[in-house]
Amino acid sequence: MDSDVLVRVKNLQTFFYQNGRCNKAVNGVSFDIKRGKTLCVVGESGCGKSVTASSIMQLLPELSRIEKGSEITYFSEKGEIRIDQQKRNGKVMRSLRGSEFAMVFQDPMTSLNPVYTIGYQLAENLQYHTPLNRKERKKRSVGLLRDMGIPLPEERVDEYPHQFSGGMRQRAMIAMAMACNPKVLIADEPTTALDVTIQAQVFDLIMKLKKDRNTAIMLITHDMGVVSELADDVVVMYMGNVVEAGTLEDVFRSPSHPYTVALLRSIPILGKGRDQDINPIRGVTPDPYDRPSGCQFAPRCDFFKEGVCDKCMPDATSLSKTHSVRCWKFVGGSGYGN
Amino acid sequence: MFAYTIRRFLTLIPMILIMTFLIFLGMDLTPGDAVSFMASPEAMANMSQAQLAQLRESLGLNDPFFMRYLTWLGGVLHGDFGYSLTSGVPIKDIVLSRIPATLELSVAALLISTFLGTILGLVSAVRKGRPVDHILTITGMIGVSIPEFFLGLVALLLFAINLNWFPIGGRLRPEYTVYWDHMKNLILPALVLGVTMTAGVMRYTRSSMLDTINKDYIKTARSKGLPEWRINLVHGFRVALTPVVVLIGFRLPILIGGSVVIEQIFQWPGVGNEFLGAVRSQNYPLVMMIALFSVFAVLIASFIIDLLTAALDPRVQLD
Repeated sequence: MDSDVLVRVKNLQTFFYQNGRCNKAVNGVSFDIKRGKTLCVVGESGCGKSVTASSIMQLLPELSRIEKGSEITYFSEKGEIRIDQQKRNGKVMRSLRGSEFAMVFQDPMTSLNPVYTIGYQLAENLQYHTPLNRKERKKRSVGLLRDMGIPLPEERVDEYPHQFSGGMRQRAMIAMAMACNPKVLIADEPTTALDVTIQAQVFDLIMKLKKDRNTAIMLITHDMGVVSELADDVVVMYMGNVVEAGTLEDVFRSPSHPYTVALLRSIPILGKGRDQDINPIRGVTPDPYDRPSGCQFAPRCDFFKEGVCDKCMPDATSLSKTHSVRCWKFVGGSGYGN
Repeated sequence: MFAYTIRRFLTLIPMILIMTFLIFLGMDLTPGDAVSFMASPEAMANMSQAQLAQLRESLGLNDPFFMRYLTWLGGVLHGDFGYSLTSGVPIKDIVLSRIPATLELSVAALLISTFLGTILGLVSAVRKGRPVDHILTITGMIGVSIPEFFLGLVALLLFAINLNWFPIGGRLRPEYTVYWDHMKNLILPALVLGVTMTAGVMRYTRSSMLDTINKDYIKTARSKGLPEWRINLVHGFRVALTPVVVLIGFRLPILIGGSVVIEQIFQWPGVGNEFLGAVRSQNYPLVMMIALFSVFAVLIASFIIDLLTAALDPRVQLD
């Protein structure tokens, strides 16, 4: 077994059941989170990025389920833990959350409880995962806030979330997540609700923590610029599938899946002026309840070939040791004609 | 917090002035002579027309409306509420003698409905979609729709007449020596009043709680690995409680005004019962004064609600 791997997700299927219909939000996703590395998960809204993250934390909504055949394995110091087999809010999950796995959410405005002080919410984490007493917890909370670059932490620790600015709240959220030195930090679009200058600060902070504490980071984003700056590994998702995965080099230097190519082509380049050609991906994301029969991207793909692409979703093809892609173009003898 | 309390308290003054003005206007428009409820009936019976006219003059009844209002307001502030038209007793004495009974019944009912309502609402929300929730939902619906007079009569028939567990009505009797004798009179009306109020509190707590446990910060709390009880109680219930406190707070006025229906059914000698009697006998001064007390209770209640909301939600004080 690869000792670098901290969390292995294999064939993850998370389905939502509502009104007698089933939404296969995540349908057969596999990737590894490596020790001390940053994994970026990119894809457009609704492609299953957040659901994948929630599945790893077992923080799914009530009407959803991790299906049989899925595997989420956490290689902890005490041995392997199969997260998909744990009870949702059971003892094992509770002991992992907040101590080994931590999560930072999208909107710091709503993800902190408005009626408790920042210090209280920070100390709560310590209370359940460390043997510290009340006084030590308070001291540690102040220290954490200081580490996150919050000025006057001794005073701010007793303030309420509404007294913090958006960026400060997200810092406080990260402080909360990092309180027990987790092995994995899952950041679900942590800067979407913040403005650009604050975004950079928050990412700097996350990267500093990664370096100082050797925390593995799973960063969910749809900002390709951020990916190119921060990622070690990249996973591109579309409609609940991983369409391409590899190192940053693999995916950005030699993008292979037509979706990745199209995605990279659609980014406007700063400084090129307003006359530059932006190539949006044509069409819209299909209705999750009415999916295309073959490759999920087929209806929007420039390389669509009838009789091949609309039959079924291809399996992953390895292009190199680290690089894999799910596209009929790369499947030998598929009739695609390469 | 202190500044907020003071500020909030000061806003009560103009509201009280407006309400007293409206009530005085109401009294002024009612038929009957003002002398009749400013002077006691015994004194009036021995007077001639000339004396009455003189009395009106000396009492300032021929003064302009606004002057009379000020004089009346001064009296009210000094505890002079006038006299009942039917008995000639000072209104202050009537109300004061009725308030203990009403307070006793209302506080008991309020406690019952608050505890039962919030706890059952919490259980119902946490167990959403399970059998417990369905049972509580159906019971709650029935509870909301059954009028209290009906429930009161059924309870009387069942527990007082058929089972003979409780006395049929009344509050105190001369032969009562132990407190329990008195409690037996209280239990039935307090339960009926409490249970009818419980349903509303329960439904409200449930929806407030459901609203709260779908918030992002509940997910955050869960992501910290907190146990479910702590997530539900400390993070969910605490926040969900604020709107419930408002609902319960607006029931405080029945502490003074009394529940007319329940007091009537159980022959409970409270303010509500007196109010009904006053309306029947067209005893306007008494009706108006009880209305004034109720208004006062509403204002005080909203004052308390604001303080409680500020205590429960740290964001309030800044607004």
